[in-house]
Amino acid sequence: MTPEEVAATPSVGRWFDSARLHSDPEDEKQLRLRLLGDFCDHMGQSPDELAAGLRRTTKGGDEAISGKRRAAMDAAIDEFVEKSGFTGRDAIVNGNILRSFLVHNGIFIQGRAWRG
Amino acid sequence: MEFKQVLGNRRSIRYFEPEKPVEKEKIQVMLEAANRASRSGNIDYWKALVVYRDELDAETLDGLRVPTTTADLDLAPVQIYFFADLSYADPNNFKRNLRDLVNVGALNPSHGWSEAYIDETVVGQIIAPMLSDPAVVGWMGTIETGLAISSAMLAAVDEGLGCCLHAVNMETAKQVFKYPDHWLPCWVLLVGYPAEDPQTKGQRPRRSISTMAYINNLDTPWEEDPAVTDKLKSSGLIQDPVDVEARAAEVRQLARRFGLPE
Repeated sequence: MTPEEVAATPSVGRWFDSARLHSDPEDEKQLRLRLLGDFCDHMGQSPDELAAGLRRTTKGGDEAISGKRRAAMDAAIDEFVEKSGFTGRDAIVNGNILRSFLVHNGIFIQGRAWRG
Repeated sequence: MEFKQVLGNRRSIRYFEPEKPVEKEKIQVMLEAANRASRSGNIDYWKALVVYRDELDAETLDGLRVPTTTADLDLAPVQIYFFADLSYADPNNFKRNLRDLVNVGALNPSHGWSEAYIDETVVGQIIAPMLSDPAVVGWMGTIETGLAISSAMLAAVDEGLGCCLHAVNMETAKQVFKYPDHWLPCWVLLVGYPAEDPQTKGQRPRRSISTMAYINNLDTPWEEDPAVTDKLKSSGLIQDPVDVEARAAEVRQLARRFGLPE
């Protein structure tokens, strides 16, 4: 997906609004959108589908986060980051940019911290 | 630090200086504070396992992660696992320790206590039946452990440390640390020097005590005395509320420093 296609999705709008990313430098915004677009291609899903796919409906009809799918998504992010050739700090930062998209769409997920 | 300042300064710290070691002596201070906490029957309810992050191999640290505690485990140099040791629930422990309390005058005849009462009545009539209910044993163990944890946390603040209670993967913890089955995991207290402003740009929201406390009957909420409130503000127990903009800027700066989601 192109950055423009990614930016036009409601879940990315929600991410940018919630994380107050609109006022960031243009190159930083483009970097985030490109990264998410590449991840969407890797997963074969749109941003909206990525976020929605981590939710499930309980027997009682409530919305919940699927623990199994979240763990799978976490692993998929790490796999994507590795496959993209990111290492060291870049690997952590880029993985966490993708997690930030999920976080601001209501998915509780944590990545590792860079200690270097 | 003055006591009220310690109470007012406590925050749940989530960004630690990952490479700044925590002195063992400061951990000892925390453990001694826990050991001085109120405890019914003078029973040793809690156990603690102090783990230095860098003593764990990478695989173990990974295994301890859960979705709600991942970055925190990277950043905190020390993990203190607090358990309620349910083996406390032996009437003989109460008999022995209550006798100690009578001997040192903590429990005294003024309030009806005597060695004879302990030997002949209290254990058989009150303690043993109480301890036969697993729900009561669990409740007592965890609440008493919580009191100890609270003292340890306040001691950490006094020592210039930050801390925050967390859950980790206890299945991994059980495999790695091999704690006994009768130790009930309560919380893991992550400890380190704050990388964030220790006062986190102001106190976190708290509802007025009048929404939680009552006087004499439940129809009469506790009414705050403004003069007391002012005194508590002067002493540092009640502090300015968080400056949301300043905090947001700090969180962003910390997220960038550690490569975490913004």
